[in-house]
Amino acid sequence: MAELDELIHQPLRLKIMAALHAERDAEPVEFSRLKAATQATDGNLGSHLTTLEKAGYVEITKDFVGKRPRTRAALTQTGRKAFRRHVDYLRAVVEGVDGD
Amino acid sequence: MGISKSEAASALTDIETAAGRSRLMKGYHHAAPILMVWGVVWAAGYTAMGLLAPERWGVLWLVLDVIGVGSTMLLARRGKGTAAPGQGWKIAAGVLVILVFFAGTFALFRPESTDAAIAYPGLVTGLVYAGIGIAFAPRYLWIGAALFAASLVGFFFFQPWLTFWMAAAGGGSLFVSGLWMRGA
Repeated sequence: MAELDELIHQPLRLKIMAALHAERDAEPVEFSRLKAATQATDGNLGSHLTTLEKAGYVEITKDFVGKRPRTRAALTQTGRKAFRRHVDYLRAVVEGVDGD
Repeated sequence: MGISKSEAASALTDIETAAGRSRLMKGYHHAAPILMVWGVVWAAGYTAMGLLAPERWGVLWLVLDVIGVGSTMLLARRGKGTAAPGQGWKIAAGVLVILVFFAGTFALFRPESTDAAIAYPGLVTGLVYAGIGIAFAPRYLWIGAALFAASLVGFFFFQPWLTFWMAAAGGGSLFVSGLWMRGA
């Protein structure tokens, strides 16, 4: 049954997960695009990405494009499933199946 | 711990907004090389118009438009991660509709001067981009406005060099817009 995921429910982490979930085939998203999509600051985004990575929801890769460092993030299978479960829970609450 | 209905609704709205913004950024990124191609096509076409006799302009643009549409379809296919199936054909059909609109309005209004005919495509293209910007993706509004303004400025202030102005200002606007989109 769908349930609240408190780790995902934090506002910025919810936006990060939503932006990553919008990618087809779990394609990694560059840090700069993620920043624009979530409208977060560098530090805030970095710290919440780390939290999601520790939970196993997000995979972060760092490499270089030419001489420019590049950080990308993608949802893991676990993260994708957790996000869907959380969205199902939110929908259930809105539809009055659960909540007040 | 449970949450209220309004909190859940607000979270769903946040999810939709963040996902939409992410898709928009990706769309800009995939459109970038297409805009750059059209910037080059535009610059090549108008530069050649300044050098060739007017009788050759029709063939010139026919060849360049085929190159532009073909490149657009290839690049749209490459970015199919964001594009819906058949997107390449939709873009090609869109370009075709614009070209038919050009031909139709030219036939109806028959510009009295060559200069008006040279500047007119810039106005229509600017209008199309501005429309896309208002309806779907705001950055296109700025691109459309730049093209529209560049065409008018060229017509009123740079008529002796209008084709070269259109090549530099119009083609340059599209190319620089592509660079701007690439960073999204």
